[in-house]
Amino acid sequence: MKRGLYSVLIAVVVVLVGFGVYAWHPSIAPITPPAKDQFSSDMIAKGKVLAAAGYCSTCHTAPGGKPFAGNYEMHSDFGTIYSSNITPDQATGIGNWSEEAFIRAMRTGVSRDGSHLLPAFPFEHFNKMSDDDIKAVYAYIMSSVAPVQQTKKENGIPFPLNIRFLQAGWKMLFADTSDFKPNSDKSAEWNRGAYLAEGIAHCGACHTPRNALGGEKRDQMYSGAAIDGWIAPSLTASSTSPLKWREQDFFEYLSTGNSPFHGSAGGPMAPVVHDGLAALSKDDIKAIATYFADKAGNVSEDPAQSPALTKAVAAQKLPDLRTHQGARLYAASCQSCHYSKQKLVKGRPLLALGSAVHLQDPTNLINVILDGFRANQGIKGVVMPAFRDALSDEDITALAAYLRQAAGEQPWPNLKQRVGEIRRQPRFEQ
Amino acid sequence: MAKFILNGKPVAVDVDGDTPLLWVIRDELNMTGTKFGCGIGTCGACTVHVGGRATRSCTTPLSAVEGAEITTIEGLSEQGTHPVQVAWQKQQVPQCGYCQSGQIMQAAALLKDIPNPTDEDIDAVMSGNICRCMTYVRIREAVREAANTMSMQGGKDEQTA
Amino acid sequence: MSRLPNKDNGTGMTRRGFLVAMTAAGVSFGFPRAAFAAMDPATDDGKPLPNASSVYEPSLWYSIDSDGKVKVNIIRAEMGQHVGTSIARILADELEADWDDVEIIHVDSHKKWGLMVTGGSWSVSQSWNIYRQAGAAGRTALIEAAAKLWGVPKRLCHASKGQVICGKKSIGYGELIAQGVNRQFTEDELKKLELKPNEELKLIGQQVRGLDINNKTTGQTVFGIDANIEGMVYAAPILPPTRYGSKVLSVDDSAAKAVKGYQQFITLDDPSNTVPGWVVVLASSYYAAKKASELVKVEWQAGPAAKVSEADIINHGRELLKDVSKGAILDTGDTNTDPVFAKAASTIEHEYITDTVLHAQMEPLNATVFQNEDGVWEIHSGCQWQSLTLPVAAAALQVPEDQVVIRAYMLGGGFGRRLNGDYTIPAALASKALGGKPVKLVFTREQDLQFDSPRSASLQQLKMAFDGEKHVLAMEHHATAGWPTEVMIPVFMPKGTNGQPYDPFSIAGADHWYNVGAQKVRAVSNDLANDTFRPGWLRSVSPGWVGWAVESFIDEAAHHAGVDPLAFRLEHLTAEGRNAGSGPIASGGASRQAAVLKQAAEMIGYGKELPKDSGIGIASTFGQERDMPTWVAVAVQVKVERDTGLVHVEKLHVAVDAGIIVDPNGAEAQCQGAALWGLSMALYEGTKLVNGKFRDLNFDTYTPLRIGQTPEVKVEFVKNDYAPSGLGEPAVTPVAPAIANAIYNAVGVRLRKIPMTPDDVKAALKA
Repeated sequence: MKRGLYSVLIAVVVVLVGFGVYAWHPSIAPITPPAKDQFSSDMIAKGKVLAAAGYCSTCHTAPGGKPFAGNYEMHSDFGTIYSSNITPDQATGIGNWSEEAFIRAMRTGVSRDGSHLLPAFPFEHFNKMSDDDIKAVYAYIMSSVAPVQQTKKENGIPFPLNIRFLQAGWKMLFADTSDFKPNSDKSAEWNRGAYLAEGIAHCGACHTPRNALGGEKRDQMYSGAAIDGWIAPSLTASSTSPLKWREQDFFEYLSTGNSPFHGSAGGPMAPVVHDGLAALSKDDIKAIATYFADKAGNVSEDPAQSPALTKAVAAQKLPDLRTHQGARLYAASCQSCHYSKQKLVKGRPLLALGSAVHLQDPTNLINVILDGFRANQGIKGVVMPAFRDALSDEDITALAAYLRQAAGEQPWPNLKQRVGEIRRQPRFEQ
Repeated sequence: MAKFILNGKPVAVDVDGDTPLLWVIRDELNMTGTKFGCGIGTCGACTVHVGGRATRSCTTPLSAVEGAEITTIEGLSEQGTHPVQVAWQKQQVPQCGYCQSGQIMQAAALLKDIPNPTDEDIDAVMSGNICRCMTYVRIREAVREAANTMSMQGGKDEQTA
Repeated sequence: MSRLPNKDNGTGMTRRGFLVAMTAAGVSFGFPRAAFAAMDPATDDGKPLPNASSVYEPSLWYSIDSDGKVKVNIIRAEMGQHVGTSIARILADELEADWDDVEIIHVDSHKKWGLMVTGGSWSVSQSWNIYRQAGAAGRTALIEAAAKLWGVPKRLCHASKGQVICGKKSIGYGELIAQGVNRQFTEDELKKLELKPNEELKLIGQQVRGLDINNKTTGQTVFGIDANIEGMVYAAPILPPTRYGSKVLSVDDSAAKAVKGYQQFITLDDPSNTVPGWVVVLASSYYAAKKASELVKVEWQAGPAAKVSEADIINHGRELLKDVSKGAILDTGDTNTDPVFAKAASTIEHEYITDTVLHAQMEPLNATVFQNEDGVWEIHSGCQWQSLTLPVAAAALQVPEDQVVIRAYMLGGGFGRRLNGDYTIPAALASKALGGKPVKLVFTREQDLQFDSPRSASLQQLKMAFDGEKHVLAMEHHATAGWPTEVMIPVFMPKGTNGQPYDPFSIAGADHWYNVGAQKVRAVSNDLANDTFRPGWLRSVSPGWVGWAVESFIDEAAHHAGVDPLAFRLEHLTAEGRNAGSGPIASGGASRQAAVLKQAAEMIGYGKELPKDSGIGIASTFGQERDMPTWVAVAVQVKVERDTGLVHVEKLHVAVDAGIIVDPNGAEAQCQGAALWGLSMALYEGTKLVNGKFRDLNFDTYTPLRIGQTPEVKVEFVKNDYAPSGLGEPAVTPVAPAIANAIYNAVGVRLRKIPMTPDDVKAALKA
C-alpha cells in the first residue's frame, strides 16, 4: 500500500518536472525599439497586408479605442479575456520585443517574458506562416503602428484556469505545432489558399469545432462551431445551406461580404471580409475560394438553375396575414427588401436560401433580426435595420418560426426561450 | 461624431450612436420629409435609401450608417421629377400625404431592382408601407405608370449610348 | 365654450346648424387683412406668397391683389381631401377667376372665421353657397368697376378667366384692383346676387390636380410634427395607467440623468383635467427625451378603469338596453311600435356588436406650444376642430380664449382623431411650466394609440315585425356605445321625442330611409365606456357601425320574408312621406338610394352564377345624416375558405350619388379610401379594451389593411344637379354589411360582430 503510494508520488513528480521543463520558457531580453528605416518598404507593405488578413487590429482594438492597443473584450466559456496591446509602445506594448521574441510568440504562444499566452491568440495558425511573412508583420507593426500607452486589463478567468503555467499543458494536449506542408496533389492556387486560410487568416479558429477544453477538433476541420455569440457555419460538404457553395460563391462572399445564394457576412465575419481579406489581392482571395470549394466538395452546378432556388422563390408566397403572425410581421418589416424574382438581385436576399435560416441553431438569424447589419457589415454601404428595441421576443419568435417553416425546415425547439437568451447574451462587436 | 453622406453632401453629427437615423435626419439635420410613423419598422413612413436600398430609418441606429450614402425624399430628385414622383403627381396618389415620402422611396427602390413589376411584386414590396388614407389602388397604378416611363427612358438612353 | 354657438335648443348639431353659424360669421365683412400667419400647401415652405401693392377683399373668404392673384381663405383642415382645392374651385368658378391665379390659404384660428371644424364630410357641402356667393360678389364688383371705368352699362360686360370684358375692351382683375376697388356687400345684397346657372360652371366637375399634391411627393409639406420653433425643447410624455383618475405618487428620474441632453421632468398640473396623472420629460432632442422617459420611474394611483375590459363594456350595454326607460327616442314619425309588435304574425330580433376601432392616423399626435412676444399662446399642431380645442387649451393655460391661437398645419391623417384636441394640452402645460418656452411634444405610436379616442365598442339590438304575408309592419333599433359628443361637447346634443339628449354621431344611420311602418330608434349612452376611455368620432362615425347593423338586418329581414335582398330593399325605398326628401341636397330621398343600389347591382352582375363558397352581397346607406344624404351602395364578391374561416373580398364596387361633384378626381379618391376603410374595419382591424388599455398599440398587432390585401375597387358616380353633399366618409358605411351579406350568400352563415375574424367564421360554420 505504502509502496504503491510512493510510486504514484514519484510518477507525479517525474511528470511535473518533465512538464516544467516543457512548459518553462526563458525570457527574451528586451531591446530598444528598432529604427524604422531598418525595414524595407516592400517588407512593411507585405506586413500591412498580412496584418490585415490576420485581423490583428480586429481583436487587438477595443471598440472606439486606438488601433492595436488591445483591451478588446472576448467572452469564452472559460471567462472574459482582454486582448494585449501590440503597438510598439515600450512600457505597455511590444515596443521592446525583438524579432525573435515576436516569432516565438507567433509560433508558440509564448510572450517575450516567457509567460504563456491564452489560446484565444491563434498561434497554432500563425505557426503555419513562413518566417518571412511573420517578419513582415513584425516590420509593419514596429514601423507603422503608432505606439499607444495602454495597460492591458486583467482577464476575468477564474482559478485555476488563470494559471498561465498551465497553458503549457493545454498546448501539449491540443496545440497543432506542425508547419504548413504543401499538398503536392493540389494545385499551386489551392496550396496558396490553404497556406492563407490555415495560417494568417486562421479560418479554423472559428469554423472548426473545439473540444471541452477549447482545443480545435482537427478531425472535424471547418465543420462549423459556436463562437462569440454566433455560429460559424460549416464550410464543408456538411453545410446545411440549400445551395452548395461553389468556388465563385466563396469568392463573391469573401470579396463583397455577400453571396446572393447564401447570405451575408455578419457578426465576427464582417470584419474578416471588410477589414481583413479586403487587403489581400484578388488572386489570394481566389486561392482561398479554391481551397474552400475543395473542402465543400467542388460543386459546380449553377444555383441560378437549381430547383432549390425555384422553391425558395415560390416560398415567398405568404399565407394569409390574418391567420399568421409571423408572416404578417414579415410582410410588414422584412419583405420590402427580402423579396426577389428568380433572377436574384444582390441586396434582395431570399431568406429561404439564407444560411442562418437553415442552421440547426437559430442564433445567427436572431442576432441579425435583433441588431441588423451595419454599413460595414454584409454588403458594404448597405444596412439592415435593428429590431432589438422594436419587436418583442414573441414577435421575433413568430417571425423566425415563420422563416424556418417557409424555408422547409423543421421548427427550432424552444425557440422563444432561445430568443430571450440570445437577446440577453453579450454583444462583442460594436 | 458620426459621418455619412446625405443627399450627396457629407454631414457630421454629434449624437449618441443609438439614435435612430430618422431622428438624426429630422431633428439634427432639419430635413422633415422623412416621417415618423411607428418607430418599430412596421409602417414604412420613415423609408430612406441607404446605399441605394430602401431602409426604415426609425430602426436604423446612427452607428450603423457610418460612412454610408443616404438619400431622403428631398434628395430623390432636384425638382421633384423622379419618374415615381411624376407618376404620383399625375395619378394624384397622395391624400394626407404623410406616408407618401416613404411610399415613393420604397417604390423608387422597387423599380430599380424590378423594372417591370407585376401586381404581385408591387404588393410584396410595398406591403411594408401603410397608407392610412388607403391610397393603395392609386399606388399600384402609379408604380405601373412609373415603370412604363422608366422603361421608355431606359430604352432611349440605350439608343443614345 | 363661449366660442361655440349655444345650441342647447334641441335642434342639435345638424348640418343646417353649422351653416347658420358659418353664415353669421360671414356677415361681418371688411376685416383688416389677416394679422395671423397661415399656411399655403403649395409653396416650398408652406408660407403664403406675398401680396402685391393693392388688395381688394370682396369678402372674408378671399382677397384679390393688383397682380390678379386670388387668395382663398380655407377654414377647413387639409388631411387628404384636397379640401382647399375643392372649395377654391367653387369660389373661382363663380368669380370667373383664372385657376392659375388661385392660391389657397389654410388660416389660423380666429374668431372672425366663426366655427372652425373639419368633419362630418361637411366641408364642400357647407361651403357651396357661401363661397359661390362670395365669388359672385367679387365678380359683380369687378364688372361694376370696369363698366364705370369705360362708362358702359354693366349689362354689356361679363367676366371670364380673370378678365372683365365689355365689347371689345377687356381688363384684368389685377389692373382693376390697382386702380382701386373697395365695394362691400351686405348680407342681404349677397343673398340677392345672381349665381351662375349650373350648366355654366366651368371649373366645377372638371379634372384638376389638388394644389396640395405636388408638395406631398417631395417631402415639402409641413405637418404639425414638422413644426420648428426657434429655441424649442423636446418633450416625451409618460402616460398614466388610465385615461381618467390616475394620480402621480412619485417620480424618480435618477436613471434618466445619464441620458445626454436630458433636462428635467414635469408632473403636469392640468386645470382642464384633460391629462390627469401625466408626466412630461424634456430634453434637447426628441430621441433623448424619449430615451430618458423610458428611464424615469413613475408610480401612480390608477383610476378605476384599470379593471374594465371590452366584455364589461358590452355586458354593461346589454343591461342598459334592457331598461326601456334609458336613452333618447329619435323622431322617426310614428314611434309607437309596441302595439304593432304585440299583434305581429312573426318577428325577428338580432343583436350586433362592434369591437373598438383605433384611428391610427399615420402622423402620431404632437403639438408645439409657446407664448409669443405679444403674450399670446401659440399652438402649432394639426387640428380638425379649432373651436373645440381652443377653449380647452385656454382653460388648461388659465388664460382668456383670445390669448390662444391655433396655427394651421397639414394633418398627417385626421379621420376624426384630431377633432378632439386633447393632445395639445400636455405641450401647453409643459410650456407654461417653463414660462412660455417653446415645447415640442411628440407621442410615440404606442402612446398615440393608448391615448386614442377610439370608435367605442357598441351593442345594437334590432327588431322587425311582420304580418301573416311577411310584410313589414314595424321596426325597432336600440343602440348603445360610448358617446363622444356627450363627453366632449354636450351642448351639441339634440333631444329626442322623450326629452332625453342624445349624441347624433352615435345613432345617425338608424333613422334610415326605408318605409317600415312604425319605427322606434333608441340611443343609449354607455356610461361605463365614457368613464373608461374617451370615445371619439372616427371616420363615418355612427353610420359606420349603425349602418352595419341596419343593412345586415335588412338582409336578414329579406331572407325571413323570402324575398331577394335587393328586391326587398327596393320595395321599401319608396320615397314616400318623410322619406321623399326635401331641400337642395336631400330632394329625391329614398328614390336616389334605390338608384345607387340598382347601379351597384349592375356593376357587379348581381344574380350571376358563382363558384361554390363565393357570394355577392349588397348594402346601401345614406351616408352621414338625413339632412345631407350621400347615397352609397356597395356590392362585393367574396370567397370564403371553410377550413380556415378566411373571407376574401375579390371585388368591391361602389355607386355614389353625392349631387354635383366639385372635384371628380378627389371625389373618387375619397370614395376609394373610404370603401377600403370599410373593408379594413370589417375584416382586418379592431382591438379590445383590456384592463383600461387597448390591447394593440402598434402596427405589429394593430393591423389596418395593407396594399397586398387590397382588392379591385371600382367607384361610379351618379350625375345630377342636386347640391353637393359630402364624400369623405359615406363610402365607409355600406362595406361591412355588404361583406356580411355576401358571406351569408356564400356559405349560409350570418356574422353579427365586426371585425369578422377567421375564427368567427369558423365558429359560425361549425354551429
